[in-house]
Amino acid sequence: MLRLWVALLLLPAAITAAAQPKGYQALKNTEAFRQALAKTNAARETIASDFTQTKHLSLLEDKIRSRGKFFFRKEDKVRIEYTAPYTYLLIMNSGQVLVRDGEKTSRISTRSSKVLQSVNRIVIDCMRGSVFRNPDFTVTVYENSAEYLLVLSPAAEAMKQLFRQIEVHMDKQRLDVTRLTMTETGGDLTDMDFTNTRHNVALNEALFKIR
Amino acid sequence: MRHYLKSGSLLAILCFLAACASPYRALKPAVRKTQTALWSRPVFTKELYRCMVDGRFLLKRFHLSGLLLFRQLPDSSTRVVFQNEMGFSFFDFAWDRHDSFSVKQIIPQLDKPAVIRTLEKDIRLLLMKGLEASGEQYFERGGEIYHRFSAGKGYAWYIEKEGQLARIEYAGRRKITTITPVWAPPSPASSDSLALRDHQSVVVLKTFKGMPDSVLFRHHRAHFTIRLHKIREDAAE
Repeated sequence: MLRLWVALLLLPAAITAAAQPKGYQALKNTEAFRQALAKTNAARETIASDFTQTKHLSLLEDKIRSRGKFFFRKEDKVRIEYTAPYTYLLIMNSGQVLVRDGEKTSRISTRSSKVLQSVNRIVIDCMRGSVFRNPDFTVTVYENSAEYLLVLSPAAEAMKQLFRQIEVHMDKQRLDVTRLTMTETGGDLTDMDFTNTRHNVALNEALFKIR
Repeated sequence: MRHYLKSGSLLAILCFLAACASPYRALKPAVRKTQTALWSRPVFTKELYRCMVDGRFLLKRFHLSGLLLFRQLPDSSTRVVFQNEMGFSFFDFAWDRHDSFSVKQIIPQLDKPAVIRTLEKDIRLLLMKGLEASGEQYFERGGEIYHRFSAGKGYAWYIEKEGQLARIEYAGRRKITTITPVWAPPSPASSDSLALRDHQSVVVLKTFKGMPDSVLFRHHRAHFTIRLHKIREDAAE
């Protein structure tokens, strides 16, 4: 009986330990982090970066890699351009989305799709640092000596159907997003690793042109 | 005038009936002078394709693109995974070593019996799964050899031209699906010798053991096409 009580008393600690990502500890002062993030991002008008995307197939031990270029311009303009081994272009600009998949170009309004609207917002939130204000997710922040880790758990039903969780890794020195990990409900996950990140570079408006 | 109208209607009915007639009716049964189409069954470990789906539904056009991964596992099972370019999985299909099919994962929007049945059939025909060699029948027409296998409620036709698999068709009374695989010119290492079985008076299909470089699936009744183009760069590891 005593063993049962000890086990029950230790259970919450065990659950917390299991939920905490390995190599990270929960951030004690989240408010200070929020403020630092807001201040840093307020001074950033544009972001340009290279990325490598790696899709891990949970049941197959296989990976599918692609790479490309990422551009962000305040307040809500994003260009994700896959350059190898296939070409694919996604532009988000003020609620409009352009997709060019090699041959076809499609223009979609995010107003017509709640899911597209949410995905649009996730990308922009992660870059703009406004992720804490997104009602579709609850955010928990962890840290280690080198980086912050933001774990986004879906709160909205539409997001629960798409993602198990999203992880945003941030460099502690510069508060740059270095990796996005999107884990699907089935367990497959996609890493986007950002390198060669530059801030406040001049980005031509044509990069974000939808029409 | 009435006479003309009558003959016109008759002609229209005849044209309609001719259009409805099975395109396989004129085939002549052939003695087995070619080897089994199963010789063309693709052999692969892993292949990645760019995939484009185009069609129309209720007068509305739709377009979808993504990546299709074919994977043969050491236990002889096969997996086919479709995801969009940004990594989000649409479906994950599996066939065990006995060609028994199962759905490992599928998004709710595609999780419809008719959709799964169609996609499964397309991939099964391309990979030549579930075909009984003992039931294979041979026909010919205009220089083409037709290999027929029973497949569900219809027949799978593997059509050979000049010793090479030219196309695959699936049909009941009418043609439902046409699959056109295209291979790049073969290297000596990837094709089988024509002389291999000549002593048995069997013409060997010029099979290219790998998967085709591109494939076009045409669904004649459902009005949509699927196009696959092999991604050559080392994208999948």
